[in-house]
Amino acid sequence: MSGAFLRLLEVTKRFDKRSVIERASLELREGQAVALLGPSGCGKTTLLRLIAGLETPEDGEIWLAGQKVAAKGQNTVPPRGRNIGFVFQDLALWPHLTVAGNLDFVLRSQGWEKRTRKDRIEEVLRMVHLFPHAHKYPSQLSGGEQQRVAIARALVARSQLLLLDEPLSNLDSDLKTILLEELSVLQRRLKLTTLYVTHDKLEAATFSDSVVKMKNGRIDESHLTLM
Amino acid sequence: METVSVNSTAFRHSHALPSARALTLGLAVTLFVLFCVLPVVYMFVVSLTDAAGSFTLNNYRQLLTEPRQRGLMVTSLILGGGAAIFATVLGAPLGLLFARARLPAKRLLRIALIVPLVVPPYIMALAWVLLTGPVGLFARVARRDFLSDWTYSLTGAVVVLGLAFYPLSMLATEAAARRVDARLEESALLAANPRRVLWRITLPLIGPTVAAAGLIVFVLALSEFGVPALLRVRVFTPEVFTAFAAFYDFGAGVALCAPLLVVALIVSLAIKFIIGERLLVTTRSLQLGLPLTFRRPFQTAILIGIAVVFCVSTLLPLAALLFETTGINRIASAVSRSGHAIANSLWLAFVGATLIVALAVVLGYGRARARSRVRMFFDPTLILLFAVPSTVVGIGIIGLWNRDGVMGQVYSSQWIIVVAYIARFAPVAALMLAAGIRQISTSSEHAAEVAGASWTRTFGGIMLPQLRTSLVATWVVSFVFCFAELGATILVAPPGESTLPVRVYTLIANTPSSEVASLALMQVGITLVPLLLLTVFLPKKGARKPA
Repeated sequence: MSGAFLRLLEVTKRFDKRSVIERASLELREGQAVALLGPSGCGKTTLLRLIAGLETPEDGEIWLAGQKVAAKGQNTVPPRGRNIGFVFQDLALWPHLTVAGNLDFVLRSQGWEKRTRKDRIEEVLRMVHLFPHAHKYPSQLSGGEQQRVAIARALVARSQLLLLDEPLSNLDSDLKTILLEELSVLQRRLKLTTLYVTHDKLEAATFSDSVVKMKNGRIDESHLTLM
Repeated sequence: METVSVNSTAFRHSHALPSARALTLGLAVTLFVLFCVLPVVYMFVVSLTDAAGSFTLNNYRQLLTEPRQRGLMVTSLILGGGAAIFATVLGAPLGLLFARARLPAKRLLRIALIVPLVVPPYIMALAWVLLTGPVGLFARVARRDFLSDWTYSLTGAVVVLGLAFYPLSMLATEAAARRVDARLEESALLAANPRRVLWRITLPLIGPTVAAAGLIVFVLALSEFGVPALLRVRVFTPEVFTAFAAFYDFGAGVALCAPLLVVALIVSLAIKFIIGERLLVTTRSLQLGLPLTFRRPFQTAILIGIAVVFCVSTLLPLAALLFETTGINRIASAVSRSGHAIANSLWLAFVGATLIVALAVVLGYGRARARSRVRMFFDPTLILLFAVPSTVVGIGIIGLWNRDGVMGQVYSSQWIIVVAYIARFAPVAALMLAAGIRQISTSSEHAAEVAGASWTRTFGGIMLPQLRTSLVATWVVSFVFCFAELGATILVAPPGESTLPVRVYTLIANTPSSEVASLALMQVGITLVPLLLLTVFLPKKGARKPA
């Protein structure tokens, strides 16, 4: 194995015989922030879902922190065993749980003790400037605050890999700039290995160490740009 | 300046005259108030008035002070609550299975389990009497009567109503489970195992809809007339009928209606509070959510469980009716003797369903496009009107329409039965069609408006064609409801104008069971035809896979 933290080897995914991801290979070093850039429908989201274990590859292998997590036709490690933080495009905040409840669900599911859970939730909420809103429900927050909850939830269990699926696409440009900067600072501070999916070149360039282009389900290796 | 003046005058004129949209909505609301709201308001007003016409709370005070009223209330609440719990316990897991589990012949199984919902509950009660009554099939086979005490009891009525209404809970749970955004479960799966995701994310999200469906079953069971009447359970609805039809005591009938009106009001507000705007949401999640997977023995046990539910709720009662008919000849002779009632029922249900859909589509449009303040008032009103027991609606219609003039002429004709159908079922049809209209983007209307089309042209040429599936489904549901209506019809039907349910109900006491069973079977058959056509011809909605 190379020193890659995340490694995709010739991964293929089909829906109804239609190939959505075609022999995609990709490597991310530990602590690296990579942007995956491509037009809508090119398979970026499906690639993230394969890495998270929410889809099963038809072919190829996925390695995470030296462990094979998916191989031809099966996920050898389920999503909950991969220790991944995922910020979905529509955020997917659980509407019946408060901000703290959203984070607590993750920690409890991962077997954290009650006292450490409380401290960790407070720490992460302070990190994203949301501590005063801990007991509010997602519907009581603004768009930017909801975005921060989603990021906090992805970070709370000290995930080893952060997957961001166009997390800022629904925000206005001013808020997008602020949150992108905050995300970037967090990523560097926590040295988080991060894969950031976007179709916005400027966003990709601002956030990441390197940009990988994707088109028609294929990763265009000739367009790997190191910043 | 002059040009500006002319233009502004024209502008004022165009807004001074009511638009076609306002006129249509105004007419629909007027008819809605006349047919649906006034009978119930009339009952409310009369329940607050004494014989001299003065204001009184006596009818409501009696509810707390009179042991008979208290007893009736307790029995009614146990009947409604028991049926709601039974229907939810049976229906909600089935709904979750249909939404998320991989089952063989799922569409066929769903149709089979929906059948009890379209068979009138009193037919179900009749079938259970033929099965487990003192001279029922079981007693004849065992040569002793060991089940009739159970059949003619509150427990028996709870079971029959639970079996009749569980499909409602099943369908509501299935729809809610399909509406859950798959991303909510996927984001939880990154941290938790599927069982925890089901308990902590999925079930709390569908819980309010399951609870609301339970409340709807509660109020339907509470309003049911035929089942407690047949199984001799003393609850409000048969007592209202007896007070009014047997003793001609209008005051006593009204006094007995009062508690039902209060319960209907509380429940309709509770339903609106619990599910709010989800009342009209019919969209499915773009992706299939967390699948329920079972190992082979569990899968087999589930299929056996579904088969048992189908047998007990549908197959056994229908088989009892079939067995009791003693052959095709018997059915033919029963049908020929009741030909007038059958033809009358078909014709009145056809007219009723058509008028209901015509009124409901305009009301539904108004509701779907209304501002939030109107919606807050309109939804509980529609639920309340649907929740008001049939016998209460019947007495309200009599009190309101039994007078000189045009209303009296309608009252003395068979059209009063159509009035009763509209009063009972237009509210629920309006809710169904409002849900359909909400799926149509307002921009398609705006595009037609910008293109220069009038509102009537937009409504007829743009909205209705997009709404055709909902229109057909609502018409079929309305037809099935009208065809099975008993509680209001038995009160308002003029002498000589009988419908099939009224004829079956009145024949039960003094006619051989074979004839009654034949007519009941005929009623079930006619009811099932549109349901089957609907399920066969309605387009399938499938969850889309991720792009």
